[in-house]
Formats: sequence, C-alpha cells, structure tokens
Amino acid sequence: MSEVLEVKGRVVARGCAAGEALVSDSVLSFWGEVDPVSGKVIAVGHPLEGQSLRGRVLVIRSTKGSSATPMVLNLAKLEGNAPAAFVNLEVDSLAALGCIVNGIPMITDLERSPFEAIQTGDHVVVDANAGVLTIIKK
Amino acid sequence: MIGLSPEQRAILNGARGPYLAKCMRWLVDWGEAMGATRLIPVDNTHVLLPVPNLVARGASKETIEHYVRDLKEACSHRTNSRCICTVHTLFLTLDDLDVPENDPEQVRMQREITELATAAGFIPTFTCAPYLVGNVPLKGEVCAWTESSAVVYANSILGARTTRHGSESAIAASLLGLVPEFGVLLPENRKGTLRVEVSAALNHPTDWGALGYFAGKLAGLGIPVFNDVRRPSQDEAKQLCAALATSGGVTMCHIAGVTPEAPTLEAAFHGEVPGDFVSFTDATLRQTYRSLRDHTGDEIDAVILGCPHASIREIAEIACLLKNQRVADGVRLWVDTARGTKANADAMGYTKIIEEAGGRILCDTCPTNMRIAARRIVTHGFKQAHYARNMIGAEVIVAPTEACIRAALAGKWLGDE
Repeated sequence: MSEVLEVKGRVVARGCAAGEALVSDSVLSFWGEVDPVSGKVIAVGHPLEGQSLRGRVLVIRSTKGSSATPMVLNLAKLEGNAPAAFVNLEVDSLAALGCIVNGIPMITDLERSPFEAIQTGDHVVVDANAGVLTIIKK
Repeated sequence: MIGLSPEQRAILNGARGPYLAKCMRWLVDWGEAMGATRLIPVDNTHVLLPVPNLVARGASKETIEHYVRDLKEACSHRTNSRCICTVHTLFLTLDDLDVPENDPEQVRMQREITELATAAGFIPTFTCAPYLVGNVPLKGEVCAWTESSAVVYANSILGARTTRHGSESAIAASLLGLVPEFGVLLPENRKGTLRVEVSAALNHPTDWGALGYFAGKLAGLGIPVFNDVRRPSQDEAKQLCAALATSGGVTMCHIAGVTPEAPTLEAAFHGEVPGDFVSFTDATLRQTYRSLRDHTGDEIDAVILGCPHASIREIAEIACLLKNQRVADGVRLWVDTARGTKANADAMGYTKIIEEAGGRILCDTCPTNMRIAARRIVTHGFKQAHYARNMIGAEVIVAPTEACIRAALAGKWLGDE
C-alpha cells in the first residue's frame, strides 16, 4: 500500500482535479517560459526546463512576471496542455487570476511545506472546494 | 469575503447581461482569493486585446477562433464612462510588414477586434509603455494595468496604484469601472521589503536595467528600495522597471530621495529600515550583463531597440547615431515603439534617417512578441534579452544603445567600448 497524506490549505481558485505532481522550489513565468502549444517549460536553465505541465499538479514557489499569464493558461487549456492544478507557496495575483478565469484549481498556505510533503511523481488529488490535498506517495 | 453593494450584486446576478455577470464573478473571485473586502472605483485601465499570432504557434484553428471569439465578446460592451482605457501591445503589427511571422489571417482578425474595441471606447495605443503616449496617471490614481513593466513604472515612478492585471481582469475593470481592493492599492502594502545599496556607476539606461534585473531576482514578489542612487531619466526608469518585472514578480519599487512615496529611506520602509541589505557594485553590474550574454560567436543578425517601447528621445538618439551610416547586410535593426511616438518621429525626420540607414521602426508590437526568427540578437533591453532567449531561442547580447548601434553597423558584436 502506498502511503497517503492529507494536507489542508487555503483555496485560491475553486474546483477539483488530480494528477501526477511536478515539484520544484522555483519561480516560473508562464509568459516566455512556458509554451502553451507543447505544454512544456522552455526557459533555458530553469529547473523544470523541458518538463511537460500537461495534466500535472504543479507544485512551485510562485509564478512571476507577466500580465500574459492568464492568456498563456487560457491557450494551454484550449490546447489541452494546462496543468491540472496549482499548489503554490506564495500566490502571484496573475496566476490566481489565470486559474480563476480558466477553471484550474489552486491551493496555497498549506499547513506544512509543500516541498516536504510532495515529491515529483506522487499522485495528488486537489479538492479546492474543501481546501484539502490528498497525496498518494509513489 | 467581499461585500457587494445592491447594484454590484445585481450585476453579478445577471441584471446587465451574462458577460458583465461573468466579469463581476472574475473580480469577486479574484478579490476574495487575494484578500480584498470590497470593490473600488477605477479611473484608468490598460488592457490586453491581442490575437495570439505565433505565441500559439501550431495551435489548432479552433483554439485561435475560440480565443478571438472571447475578445470580440468583450469588445462588444461599452467601457465605463469614468475610465480612460488604453490598449497594450499586439503580437503582430497592423502595418504592412513583409515577414512570414506577420500572419495575414490573424492580422485580419486583429483589425476586426480593433474596430470593435475602438467603438467600445478602448484607445488603440498598442504599447507596453502607455505612460509615453498620454496615459500618465497622477499620484494615488487607481488603475488596472496589464504589462508588468508598466505596472512597476506606474506604482513606483508615478505613485499611481495598480496591481498586476491580466487580460480578463483589466477588461472587467474597464467595463464595470471597478477593481478588487488588495495588494498595493492599500497604503500598508507599499512598504519596501528589500534594501539595495547602489555603489555601481550607472551611466546608461541599460545599466539601470541591470540594476533591476539583479534586484528583481532577489525581491521575488516583494518591493525593493534603492538607496544612494541619483534620479534616473525617464528612459532609465523605464529600463529599471521593466527589468524588475522580468527577473521577479515585482509590482513596485522605491528609489530613496527620488520617487513620490520615498522622500527618504525611512519613508520607503514606513519607518522600519532593515539593517540587512544587498549591494549593487561595479562588479555586480558587470556580472549582471554577463548573465544575459551567452553568445558563442560575434556575427549577429538582429538588433532590437525599444524594449519597452522607445521614447521619442531614444528614437532621436538612435537616428543621430545612424545618420549617414548603413546597417550591415544581413542585420535587421528594429526600433519598436507606439504609433503615437512614431507619428512624432515621422514629423521630426527621425524615421527617414533610420529607414535610410536600413533600419525599421516597428509599431504595435516587438520582434519577441512576433517570434521573429533570429540566431543572435543584440538589444539594449534586459527584458527583451531575457524573453528572446527563451521565446525565439536566439543567443542574446544585452548592451547599451551605442554599442548596439555599433554592432548593427559592423554586422558583429564589437564589445562595449
């Protein structure tokens, strides 16, 4: 049996989703660092360079930068390449907006560090109505 | 929770139609997520209304059509009569431009959107620097701006108040005349978080870009305060703000003794000056330039100036450097600016000088937004260099304007001096 953890957090964007976690204690810009058509991180030298965000539960410190964040998320969603959900340590207002307008769940302010609780490859169920993550360790 | 007036509640419930109900829902949900307790009137918006062009290179026809349909729906509603609403850059130019990256079908779609947008009250400035073409909010003015570099400029240099907006929130603010009150709209959230002591000699606007690129990375979502530095020119402030928003998620900064809310270092930190600080020295300056110079050779094929969009003063300088000179064969020299600024450059004869030298003034957009193919780019903008590297996949060299022009004339990078 896999180990299962439940961690509570604060809801930023409502909804429910599940997927394989992609974890990096780093900051990512959707504008210029993510290609919405391939769904991949294209930032040269970024810890997530080359990784696909499609259907993943993206666990990062925060997003940064551009006003185009919601637009890139919208295009990625239309192409079927958006992350399934966001778990962020800090909330960048543009990622929050992008998640809200595109129906992508987002949770923050976890009761323990997401980088300790979640590893890349864990299966994570995000209930961003109740504000609970269920982490099934790989 | 956000408290809504009866009128706001009615809009949320559909009293003014489904689209405005959706806009109100976006503002309410976004505000609640960010800790707002009310919506407040907004005086000034800068919105993003572009067709995606090559930002969505390879996307399906359905994706583009869906996206364009949403923009048209937004532009079929009148902007709020209280607001001045200007428009951000596009991902293509509406001028005739004979490059494959200016997709004619999407130019046609953008023209249709523009027609609807202007009828709705959106002023087609098509620029990332609205403060250079007449949208100059006063201190304390509540704004809803897209374009993170312009947001930093508005908050820091002008003392206006805007959180960083995306397309949907800026459209909703324009149509409803409201924004959720959170973040830097509240005075207590405009307090400095990172003290940066500047000892480097800052001689060019691009040096100020280096300062911003360095500090943005360290500040993250915080508010850097620069100390012991002279008053920047408008072009220098533009580079500083753009670079801060590129390497970090910065919404504003202060320059002690210079910017409107920082008459002193103490004021910038609301009385609590941290003892800890980071230093920006001549060595840091050089190191920051090196971080955006990854060229493996000296031959270049593109020089990009006007990031953020060039001011008339920058265009005058570029024209002066290019007069009676000729850009090397095989090099594209682009000067990106707003239509309004180009009209002045035309009148002053600068456009003619730049074109006679083999350069081009590009309106509405920039080569990175258009994904113009290039192998090795020289640019005076840290922002342009950062994004061109990822989005075009080009090697980049960031350098002050004069060194960029020398490279354009020689067809190769000749170094800084």
